[in-house]
Amino acid sequence: MRMFHTSVTDLRQPFVETVETFPYECGWADEAIFFVTAETGTDESAQVSLGVQLSADGIRWLDEGSVLTLRGPASGFVRVTHFGGFLRLAGTVAGGTTNGATLTVRLALKG
Amino acid sequence: MLPTQLDRLPGYFQPLPNVIVADDFDAGLNGWMDLRPNFVGAQFAAHSHEIDLEHWGPVMLSSATFAFAGTHGSASGTYSLRLPTRSPAAPPDQPPAPGSMSLAIKRLSCPAEAARIRIEAVIAYSTVQDRPGLGSEAMRAFGLFIDLQDSEHRFMPGVRFVNAVSGEPVRRWQYYRQTDSTDVDWSYGREGAWHQAGVDPQWFGVRDADGSTSATSWFDGREQRLIYNETDDKINWMPIALEFDLRSRTYVSFTAHGREYAFPPGAGPSLASPYANISGLLNPVFFVETDGDRRVDLYVDSVVVSYATDEEVAR
Repeated sequence: MRMFHTSVTDLRQPFVETVETFPYECGWADEAIFFVTAETGTDESAQVSLGVQLSADGIRWLDEGSVLTLRGPASGFVRVTHFGGFLRLAGTVAGGTTNGATLTVRLALKG
Repeated sequence: MLPTQLDRLPGYFQPLPNVIVADDFDAGLNGWMDLRPNFVGAQFAAHSHEIDLEHWGPVMLSSATFAFAGTHGSASGTYSLRLPTRSPAAPPDQPPAPGSMSLAIKRLSCPAEAARIRIEAVIAYSTVQDRPGLGSEAMRAFGLFIDLQDSEHRFMPGVRFVNAVSGEPVRRWQYYRQTDSTDVDWSYGREGAWHQAGVDPQWFGVRDADGSTSATSWFDGREQRLIYNETDDKINWMPIALEFDLRSRTYVSFTAHGREYAFPPGAGPSLASPYANISGLLNPVFFVETDGDRRVDLYVDSVVVSYATDEEVAR
């Protein structure tokens, strides 16, 4: 049986303009899905743009290429495979009255 | 991944006769997870608002991989349980800042015949190597405790290694004692809080600038230099073991990296009134706290929880 684990890497975490989710080590896993929720209270016109990033050490990050975009309070997901040892999302919050968003990130891992 | 097997664990362990769990992190997280609050409020709000309990760093399986050293692995195998903090820390005489800790918990129940309980682990610790130099003073503290409740009390025996405070080395162990704080002082001035005095001493209780708290006593004796190697990406695995008498609710023994610590006669944790629906719970917890503006990690390799019966203690 394969191993499965979901980590809530960022729970109702407030971000202003720049988003960097918690660097998560998951080299044991073969596949991952980031489930992202912009929580209630996030401005209706705020646009959250997040890209998947990879890292060899959990400190220095490179874009993987996959992108997830949310507008206002909403949820979405992005799938990733073949990612090495560390994963996170990085991006921006634009628009809205506060230039901010409260995000919950659930990283579902299987391997 | 391999199945959990006691005979695969590193050779540091000396469990009591009855092993409840022997968790090898090469076989996965084994039920260890983030310690988070009770989401029972409106819109799933946390039950407790004295401090921010939602943003601690999330625990993960780690191969202990570094930029220059590569993969360190664990004491036995590849994976350990990693507790990573966020940053920054609050001053040491203030409540913990959001995200300045990471905590891992496993939720079990205590066998009725258990008279003594013992928790053992192999640990290593490091500061995230995000800048040149040695980060040894960025780690404020780490430790372990056991959340227990019998028919009369809830109590949390445990130990805390205060590594550094405000960047200055301390290197001494504390144990959780009976607090003299009132419930209000314990919960940072909040009336009617969920936390009785003595409950969750890793978060609550009056804190002082030297690393003391109203929940802890320092062990007698000189400082202990746990291994922190000459660079942040060299970690050394060290055993710790805490044993507790469930009948008298007092400490039996604590050892860390080859040193035995003596408790004063009758020393034990605070004895709070029981909480609803959790009698018989046995929840071991590991935790780590940053001291400054850097993330720090506690690595836990295998964990063994064992017990002895009254008859076995008497032998």
